[in-house]
Amino acid sequence: MSGAAVRRAQLESLVEAQGACRASPPLLLSADAYFDLAGEEFGRRLLLTTDTTGAEHCLRPDFTLPIVQSYIADGVGEPAAFSYLGPIFRQRETGPAEFDQAGIELLAQTDGDVALDQVLTFARAALSIFGVAPTIRLGGVGLFEALLVQADMPDPWRSRIRQRFGHTEALNRLLARLAVTHDTDHVSQPSRDALVEDITEQMVAAGLSLSEGRTPGEIADRYLEKAMLNDSHVPAATLKLLNDYLAISGPVLQSLTRIEALAAEHKLMLGAPIRAIRRHLDGLGEARVTFDASFSPRLDYYTGIVFEMTGANDEILASGGQYDRLLERLGATAPIAASGCAVWVDRLESEVRA
Amino acid sequence: MTGITLAVPSKGRLEELTRDWFAQNGLTITRPGGARSYLGAIDGLPDVTVRFYPASEIARELIRGNIDFGITGRDLIHETSETGPASVSIAKPLGFGKADCVVAVPDSWIDVTHMHDLADVASDFRSRHGRWMRIATKYINITRQYFAQAGIAEYRTVESLGATEAAPASGVADIVVDITTTGSTLAANGLRVLEDGVMLQSEACLIVSRTADWSDERRAIMSALLQKLGASSEF
Repeated sequence: MSGAAVRRAQLESLVEAQGACRASPPLLLSADAYFDLAGEEFGRRLLLTTDTTGAEHCLRPDFTLPIVQSYIADGVGEPAAFSYLGPIFRQRETGPAEFDQAGIELLAQTDGDVALDQVLTFARAALSIFGVAPTIRLGGVGLFEALLVQADMPDPWRSRIRQRFGHTEALNRLLARLAVTHDTDHVSQPSRDALVEDITEQMVAAGLSLSEGRTPGEIADRYLEKAMLNDSHVPAATLKLLNDYLAISGPVLQSLTRIEALAAEHKLMLGAPIRAIRRHLDGLGEARVTFDASFSPRLDYYTGIVFEMTGANDEILASGGQYDRLLERLGATAPIAASGCAVWVDRLESEVRA
Repeated sequence: MTGITLAVPSKGRLEELTRDWFAQNGLTITRPGGARSYLGAIDGLPDVTVRFYPASEIARELIRGNIDFGITGRDLIHETSETGPASVSIAKPLGFGKADCVVAVPDSWIDVTHMHDLADVASDFRSRHGRWMRIATKYINITRQYFAQAGIAEYRTVESLGATEAAPASGVADIVVDITTTGSTLAANGLRVLEDGVMLQSEACLIVSRTADWSDERRAIMSALLQKLGASSEF
């Protein structure tokens, strides 16, 4: 057997050895669910086709969504584990649109920490088959959410800041905007009733439905909230906290120490999420681990800890983390713990050749 | 092969203006078979074959390298493919066919004046209405790129091939991305362009394909011709 075939067989055994149910979802999937979950940004990567009824299908662009969907359809609740290895299809700038991914999904596990450890161990084992000693980049979604809840600021800003976490430019633009103090000459705002009446009139005149999309009440509320927010500043100390925090990036222990110092300075209780990160470090052993405070996938169902592993080519070879909000997003009626990762097999193989 | 292929919009105002522009630069485009022929020539330039195409096909063929240079809108280069702008070189903007590709919301959305407002609205649209905010447009690629830059991921596009401005009233979409010259059609339909909602300022351009098969000889002919047209001869 060639080296590549041996590595492939070893990866196959690793995937089988996870004590998990081997998942092989269909290659042809409904595209709607992907657009619904991940929006247009991911949607542009799909390979789409349309059937004679006009329904849109895509070639399987990942394993997580169909695995979780069928888990929900089977009636949720029981802890379950799935592993996979097979082709997925995405439009990419370089490389063929068909390539292999391997991974695991751990659902409704009783201990989220143990589950994440298994995920990290799986990813490292997969990489070591290809001789890769990775750099592991950790991100703290739970940590940032804990900080945001406690930071001193008018409430409506929290969701606006959270929503931009993981998109550095958008978040920096918002923070820069918050740093400018407005000299609003307190124009008295019309009453909510008057606004609603006005907006209703405009909508009727334009032929817009008053109930199908944004409603007059919703628009009036946000208008008033916006006017209020222009007057209610985020304290300069909080902005400094956010900027200082988001700039933290480097070796994990050093970064966590800096975060602890920030927490002490601003009297924030961040012990639990910081401990959660520390607990995983033992398992990562001698690997080069960095923590990047601003690192998060752009999808809001991620929670807890997220990670990426890169090799010598600086390409992402494995990525994953905890996504406790995913199952609810896909229709589960209660929050269900979930963690997992995906490993890019073609990139690993090119690390070997490099 | 040493010939050069020029693609010219096949009909309407754009064809007229293109031929006028070449005429001003001392070149006469002829269409011997009349308006129904898709093949033409330039008087005195036997190396150049003229083909008449719809403007969107010109963009596609320039990106693929099937034609060497042509006249089409900048918007179509951006819309046809993500790799469009990198696959061609804009040799000269021609000053006609000007139009802006814009994001417009209903007048009644008095709380939304900028893209960052739209980001806030989009982020909780789904939890309020059980569906994503919908954008009607025929400019799907341009929309995706602009919204990605603005940090907005929570929306769906609805492809609209005509009368996009009517989409909010017909309930097909909440907002629109459309092309406009004066904004009057949008305004007449109760839509308002966001203050930072101009995604792209487009106009007709003389565009050279970078992906065409450029032998030294063909490149020399092309450069000489571009120089004659007062356009950038690097591509």
